[in-house]
Amino acid sequence: MMTATNTGKPLRIAGLTKTYETRSGETVEALGPVSVDVEAGEFLVIVGPTGCGKSTLLQVLAGFLKPTAGAALVGGQPITGPSVDRSMVFQSYALFPWLSVLENVEFGLARKEIPPRRRRELALHHLRLVGLHDFANKSIDELSGGMKQRVAIARAFAVEPSIMLMDEPFGALDALTRRFLQRELLRIWQEQRRTVVFITHSVIEAIFLADRILVMSSRPGRIKAEWRVDAPRPRDVTSEELRGLEREIYALLDEELAKSFDIELSAGASAGE
Amino acid sequence: MRSRAATSAAPFATTVRIPFAATARSLPFLYAAVTIVLIWQFVVILTKPDPSVLPQPITVAWTLGHLLRDGELGLDTAYSLGRVISAWLLSAIVAIPLGLLMGSSRRLERLINPFVELLRPISPLAWIPLAILWFGIGESGKIFVVFIGTFFPMLLSTIAGVKGIDPILLHAGQVFGCTTRVALFLRVMVPASMPSIVVGLRVAFGTGWAAIIAAELVAAHTGLGYLIANGMDILRADEVLAGMIAIGVLGFLFDTFFRYLQGRYARNAG
Repeated sequence: MMTATNTGKPLRIAGLTKTYETRSGETVEALGPVSVDVEAGEFLVIVGPTGCGKSTLLQVLAGFLKPTAGAALVGGQPITGPSVDRSMVFQSYALFPWLSVLENVEFGLARKEIPPRRRRELALHHLRLVGLHDFANKSIDELSGGMKQRVAIARAFAVEPSIMLMDEPFGALDALTRRFLQRELLRIWQEQRRTVVFITHSVIEAIFLADRILVMSSRPGRIKAEWRVDAPRPRDVTSEELRGLEREIYALLDEELAKSFDIELSAGASAGE
Repeated sequence: MRSRAATSAAPFATTVRIPFAATARSLPFLYAAVTIVLIWQFVVILTKPDPSVLPQPITVAWTLGHLLRDGELGLDTAYSLGRVISAWLLSAIVAIPLGLLMGSSRRLERLINPFVELLRPISPLAWIPLAILWFGIGESGKIFVVFIGTFFPMLLSTIAGVKGIDPILLHAGQVFGCTTRVALFLRVMVPASMPSIVVGLRVAFGTGWAAIIAAELVAAHTGLGYLIANGMDILRADEVLAGMIAIGVLGFLFDTFFRYLQGRYARNAG
C-alpha cells in the first residue's frame, strides 16, 4: 500500500482583492477583501451566487490571476504563479484528449520529474482509488462524463499537492453520478488528507462535503458567513439538523441573490438543487 | 457510465457493420459515376461528335486500359505524385512550425499575417509563369508552384488549430506542471492542435494535386498533366479523358486515405 509522502498544507488568504479594468476604463471590484485561514487537510467549501467572484478567488489561488491587493500563502509561501503543488479539478474535466487515461494521470507526475516506473505506480494506484484501474489504456473519449471526472480527480490527487482546488467539479454531471462522485471524493480525501478548496453553487453538496462552509456575498465577493459542519461522515443531508443548516444558508443566499439581481425573490424560490 | 453488455456487444457489431458500411458509403459515388457515363453515352449517340472531340466511353476505357498496361499511366502518376509529395512535405516543414508560432504569439501574428493575407489570394496557378521564368521547366519550378498551393491551407489550418484550443486545457497544463511557455507549447499547444493540423495536411494535399496538374500542363515532359496536354496536342481526346479520369480517381483515393487517417486520429484525439 502506498501512502502519501506529505499531507496538505495550510492556506492563508489575507486581505485579497481583485479589481478589473473594463474596456471603457471603469474599475470593477470583483473580489474582496477576503481573508480566510484554511487548516492543513481541511475541506473548505465556498458557496455563493453567480458572479460573486468565487471563481476569481480560485483563479488567484491557482496562480492564473495576480491579486490587486493582499496575498495568498500556502504553507507560508506566497503564490506567484501556477504550480503542480496546487492541483485543480475543473468543471469541464480538462483532460488531455491526445493522452490515454493513464498518461493523463501521469502528466503532472512527469512534470515533477518523478522517474517513469514510480510515475506509473503512482498513476495506477490513483486510478485504482477511483475504480478506473481497468481503463488505464483507454482513450479519454471512450469515457462517460462521470468517468472523466474520476480520471481528473485521480490526476489531481496523484501529484500529491499541498492544496486541491475544485471549481464546481460536479456541476456538469447528472444528479446520481454527482452523488456517487461526492462519496468517492470524500473516501479518497479521508485516505489522503489534502487541503481542499471546493467551489459549488449547490448548498446540499456543500453540506455533504465540507468541514467548513463559507458563503460569499454578491459582487464584490466577500465572506458573508461561515459554518463549521461537525456531523460525522457519511452525512445524511436529510437529517433534521442538516435540513436546518440548509434553510439557514438558503436564507442568506436568497438575500444575496436578490441584491445581485436587484429584484425581490419570493421566499420559496430556493429548491434549485 | 457504459454498461458491460454494451461493451461486450461492440466487437460483434463492428465485424458485421464494416463491410456493409463500406458498401453503403461507396454507393453514392457509384451512382454518380454510372450517371455520368450514361449521359456521356447519350450525348455521343445523339450528337455523333468526331471521336477526336468526344469519343465513346468504351473507347476511353480501352485507352485507359492500354495506358495502364504499357506502364505510361503508372510512370506519369509516379512523376506527379513524387512532385506533390516532396512539395507537400517541404511545405509542412515550413507551414506547421510557423503556424504554431503565429497561433500562439499575437505579436508574431501581427508581424506576418499581413504578408499572408496579401499573398494568399494569388492562385498557385498565377505563379506558374514566374516559376518557369525563375526555374525553367525542371523539377524545382513545379515543386515551387505546389509549395505555394499547399502552404496556405496548412498554415491557416495550423493557426486555427492553436487558436481554437480550449483555454481550460492550457490552465490544466499549467496546473499540472507546465510552468514555462516552452513546456506549455510543447506539451499542450502542439498536441492539442494536431487534429486541425491533420485537416490542413489533407486539404493541402488536395490543392497540391490540383496545382501539379496545372503546372505540368504548361511546363513538363512527364506527369499526368503532361499526359492530358499531350493528348490535346495530338488530337487524342480519348487520352485526355483517360488522363482526367486517372487524376480524378487518384485525387479521390488520396482524400479518402487522409480522411481515414483523420478518423483514426480524431478517435484518439477525441
